Amino acid sequence: MNVVARLETGTLDPAAVLNELMQAVSTDGAVVSFVGIARGQARGGEAVDRLALEHHPRLTLDSLERIATDAAARFAVNHVLVVHRCGEIAAGEPIVFAGAASAHRRAAFEAADYLMDRLKTEAVFWKREEGPAIRNWIEPTDSDYADRARWE
Amino acid sequence: MRVHFYGRLADAFGTETEVEISEPCSIAQVRERLAIKYPRDAELLGNRRVRACVDDSIVPDGHLVQPDESIDFIPPVSGG
Repeated sequence: MNVVARLETGTLDPAAVLNELMQAVSTDGAVVSFVGIARGQARGGEAVDRLALEHHPRLTLDSLERIATDAAARFAVNHVLVVHRCGEIAAGEPIVFAGAASAHRRAAFEAADYLMDRLKTEAVFWKREEGPAIRNWIEPTDSDYADRARWE
Repeated sequence: MRVHFYGRLADAFGTETEVEISEPCSIAQVRERLAIKYPRDAELLGNRRVRACVDDSIVPDGHLVQPDESIDFIPPVSGG
């Protein structure tokens, strides 16, 4: 079992992170990955130039590690890799990578889905979208909490 | 006692402030003191979804804090 969770203060190159996961795979038959990207439009339709992701000096990485460890314990996966950015992120740039490797595909699909539902509602970040006409704090929606509740 | 704020709370209160206490008091009492100190944004701290964190653990409103401890008040979190 190999579980890695990182807080990235610089940029995130999804291809490089996927390659890192691929390099760790030995006898597995499946790798599933998800990449979250900063949207260029707010829910109300306003243009968004960037996201600001504030984090806590200790709780943020703790939360990433806990979520990744829980996914590894819950599903029949051999590798879990989570990389989450913090700081200022321009629209169109990757924010998060969540990947898992398993012997058979279903476990890796479910682990990636689970990782994202937990990250959306429990990863310790405070997210703000900024654009020419807006400055909005983003909190989980009812739909995010409902997605999280599927795993309870 | 040192109090730290994050996210939208930091917009309203700044990233940290000092609350004068000489004996242990509950998180609820600290919230009340902060509401007096910042009457304009008092409702932000009254929100039950704003959690208190002491020594890197979430604690309930009845939790007693010592004068030499610090508290982090954290609004709802969201990654991804």
